Amino acid sequence: MKVSYYPGCTLKTHGKGLESSALACLEKLGITVEELPRWNCCGAVYSLADDDLIHMVAPVRDLVRAKEQGNEILLTLCAMCYNTLARANALMKNDPEKRKTINWFMDEELDYAGEIKVVHFLDFLRDYVGWDKLKEKVTNPLKGLKAAPYYGCTLLRPKEAGIDRFDNPSIFQDCLRALGAEAVDFDMSTQCCGTYQVLGNPEASLKVSFDILKNASEFGAEALVLACPLCDYNLGKRQGEMKNKLGLANDMPVYYFTQLMALALGVPEAECHFELNREISLGFLKERNFLKASA
Amino acid sequence: MPYPEELKRLIKKVESTRPERVARKKRNEEVPFLSLDDREKVLQYHPDFREEGRRALNIGPSKGYKIAHEMADILEAHSRVKPAQIDLTKWDYETDVLIIGGGGAGTSAALLAQENGAKVIIATKLRHGDANTMMAEGGIQAATKGHKDSPYFHYLDVMGGGHFKNVPELVETLANKAPDAIMWLESLGCNFSKYPDGTLKTIHGGGTSRKRMHYAADITGAEMMRTIRDEARNRVSDIQVLEFAPAVELILNEHGRCAGAVLYNLETEEYFVVKAKAVVMATGGSGRLHMQGFMTTNHYGATGDGLVLAYRAGVPVVFLHTVQYHPTGIVFPEQAEGILITEKFRGSGANLVNIDGEQFVNEREPRDVEAASIIKECVVKSKGIPTPTGKLGIWLDSPMIEDLAGAGTVEREFPGKYILYKRFGIDISKEPMLIYPTLHYQNGGLEFKATGHTGLPGLFVAGEVGGGIHGENRLMGNSLLDIIVFGRIAGKSAALYAKNEFKDGKLSLEHAERYNKEASAAGIAEDKVAPMILPDYTDPRVRERQLTTHYVGTLR
Amino acid sequence: MSTLDEGVAKTEIAAKLIPIYVMGKKYEVPESLTIMKAIEYAGYKYIRGCGCRGGVCGACSTVYRKPNDYKIYTGLACQTVVEPDMYLTQIPFYPAIRATYNFYELEGRPEEIYELYPELFRCVACNNCTKVCPMDVEVMDYISALKRGDIAAAAKISFDCIQCGLCASRCMGELAQYHMAQLARRVYGAYLTPRADHLKTVVANIEAGRFDLGVKSLKAMNQEQLKQAYQAREMEPATAGEDWKPKESIGL
Repeated sequence: MKVSYYPGCTLKTHGKGLESSALACLEKLGITVEELPRWNCCGAVYSLADDDLIHMVAPVRDLVRAKEQGNEILLTLCAMCYNTLARANALMKNDPEKRKTINWFMDEELDYAGEIKVVHFLDFLRDYVGWDKLKEKVTNPLKGLKAAPYYGCTLLRPKEAGIDRFDNPSIFQDCLRALGAEAVDFDMSTQCCGTYQVLGNPEASLKVSFDILKNASEFGAEALVLACPLCDYNLGKRQGEMKNKLGLANDMPVYYFTQLMALALGVPEAECHFELNREISLGFLKERNFLKASA
Repeated sequence: MPYPEELKRLIKKVESTRPERVARKKRNEEVPFLSLDDREKVLQYHPDFREEGRRALNIGPSKGYKIAHEMADILEAHSRVKPAQIDLTKWDYETDVLIIGGGGAGTSAALLAQENGAKVIIATKLRHGDANTMMAEGGIQAATKGHKDSPYFHYLDVMGGGHFKNVPELVETLANKAPDAIMWLESLGCNFSKYPDGTLKTIHGGGTSRKRMHYAADITGAEMMRTIRDEARNRVSDIQVLEFAPAVELILNEHGRCAGAVLYNLETEEYFVVKAKAVVMATGGSGRLHMQGFMTTNHYGATGDGLVLAYRAGVPVVFLHTVQYHPTGIVFPEQAEGILITEKFRGSGANLVNIDGEQFVNEREPRDVEAASIIKECVVKSKGIPTPTGKLGIWLDSPMIEDLAGAGTVEREFPGKYILYKRFGIDISKEPMLIYPTLHYQNGGLEFKATGHTGLPGLFVAGEVGGGIHGENRLMGNSLLDIIVFGRIAGKSAALYAKNEFKDGKLSLEHAERYNKEASAAGIAEDKVAPMILPDYTDPRVRERQLTTHYVGTLR
Repeated sequence: MSTLDEGVAKTEIAAKLIPIYVMGKKYEVPESLTIMKAIEYAGYKYIRGCGCRGGVCGACSTVYRKPNDYKIYTGLACQTVVEPDMYLTQIPFYPAIRATYNFYELEGRPEEIYELYPELFRCVACNNCTKVCPMDVEVMDYISALKRGDIAAAAKISFDCIQCGLCASRCMGELAQYHMAQLARRVYGAYLTPRADHLKTVVANIEAGRFDLGVKSLKAMNQEQLKQAYQAREMEPATAGEDWKPKESIGL
């Protein structure tokens, strides 16, 4: 099976750990992906204004690139890119009037009508690999790790772009269990971290992120696992600020799910780029001896 | 337009001899290089040797020196503006170093002058960077590979190419400073083609004994020019650029030193005075004079203005009796006529082939020898390929490069030309190019020293406007080198002169007055004026209808 | 033996005449000419809008339309052949802001480019820049590469840019793309690719005077001796690899 792959801008810089660990996992699973030879920023956020078609141009152009590549599936890793591309795809598939306008505006490109299926790595694993197969490939089960899966908003909402039901999702838990970890359910796993409010209203986003961490901790989580560089920024990188301003009691290690998957599948540690996580994240893995098999 | 059927039929002959020629190349068998004696024999077909094409200068410091009519015409001409009409008691701009010319030499000079503490004005005829530098494709020579090359071999090659007549001190400086010039460009972020470990890629050029031609794909000059221009723009507080402002006269002062220039605003037609402590002449070449009616590869502004200005101020001209014809200018399709096909094609192995598909000269002889051989093959031996408009050309067998270096090489190494021809419906990785010699380079120019100084205190020279480095014939890859090496030297010398030696005094155009009188005395009509500034391509039928009496009424 | 002059002044035009509209005004010009030569044929004399006449300087960018076609076409006047009924204008200059910076203080980080050109992120990927580029540079692609911090890709994609400014003239985000590309190429050349070690060695050797004697000996030769030395020099074969060495160490 050949799959087109859309990385997204952040995954080439600050979010390198998400990309390189995911690509290493795919290799372990025997799946070939082809990065789009030409791609542009998807826009990161799906525009909600009904007549703001210009912001559809960027994601649709990426979908056209996937169509040009001739594969049926476009795989994404970043939850925000996934959401933007999946919703643009739905628009092109379901709204003939807007489809016509956008295609005409982009008359230098192939016409597009939603032919590509946009998937996130998590639903790709569930639907095209299967949890059993994933479990089989695990050489270094994350035994005893109490990990809280953090969905955030963009993997589940709105319904047409959700990779699982939004009221009581299980896909992330299933994934963690396949890796041998203990999935910790907590109340706020689908609450918003504040996303780009960090720019306009940093205090508010700090507060909601703090609440999420606190909540996860109360339910017994030792670590938070997520799928989005911006969530990682809010929930991971701002913990120092939370300590100073809001009295966060303990640091909580934060990982991309692909980093933990890589460890479980025996991928060399270097591919995970833990140096881009906070120091305590790597320290925690060392302390709990999760790095041994990958060394 | 694509090749018509007739030419396609002739291409078959090229194709029929190609496998054998490629095989020969792969066996390292060369068509023998000509001996020095044989070179001389073929050079009699070079346009420089046509007696009826030149005459002796009648006036000025090089009176009696025989050069092309077109060149003599501008050197002997009167000023564009009557010197007495210019008020020199006040000036519009004042600076430490005035640089006339905004190409590679002028811009390098500006950067070095600024680094040596000078405030700089660049006055340029068109836009900053509109210059022959931008058009140079092939490469820049420098002996950067110590295990096989050195300034010693570079020096020998330059002298041999120039018929051993070059000024030795200039060649010595050129060869010795070449690697440092490359290193300077590298530090400014110029993207030379490199191997992954940083080793610079180098190839042969005509007349080189070692592969020392560095390049940036096939737009070496453009890459260099846009890099140094960009750097000059970073130093905007010290380097002011006046565009569309060609210099029309040098200004001296009462101590006989060069102390500025008169600039002409091409758009408002006003004249402005610049007072400067030192002046660098970097106006480039003169292909747009169309010597002997030849087409040219040169930039629109290449009209030899700097020669005129400095000659009037007493600086002799040297080596101007030779002009370089680039062996390979496009002769078909006609829209692209005169455009240069870089020597790198031949450096990469493409043969020159006649109408019978025969190779008649080694493709890596010096340029004058190549050009003369092509003219001889067409004009004397009648083996040229006739174009649909009745001109003659020779095949440059670019598809050979694909056979030698692998499919896709032509598109990768020569993207600019590949695209250009593709637009005309010709795929040069499959079909050869039709070429003929085209006016390319002014071998000679103003006499100057290796420090950039001229005989006129306060006037410095850099680049194509100077003469002596290349003797009677320049090798490929030494002009991009010349402008950087001598541009940097002239910039530094000018800044130091401005700081330490300059002597202020009353501004004067007496030298121009004197020269105009000399011209009148020699019987040169007053409507012969120079510098030319821009060539005139107006259709004669249009000209006949342009009947306005000048400067009468509200519109010109 | 003279071939042909530039322009059409000395050529008899046998070709068919076609109408073109220069800034809305009709002229009949020979069908085989480039736009530049056609404008000169019509009687204009260039000051702006004309530079190298060889397709590399970016002075003569031209915008045109054809009858019954909503498309905007572009080309370099010196490279594009006229078409019947084309409506054209040249855009010899388009204002564009350029950041200034101390190049030697840069380190080659994407953030440096973001700070100098924050408007980079106003790009909405409309692709107008690419569509309008007369050099077929994928302008939007290099802007996309820059947005994700891939300076190397931006440098490579933009390599054929001639800085004519047409991209900037059509940009919805009001970017001056080509200045950003220039910065990317310089950063790539100076900081993201290895410097040439052999170059440093040679420059140091020259400064130490290692070749002075050899070159002085050549300078001291008379013309005959020099000719002999010239003809005796060993030629590096055309197909020699990087490690080729001459038989003798003379001059090295």
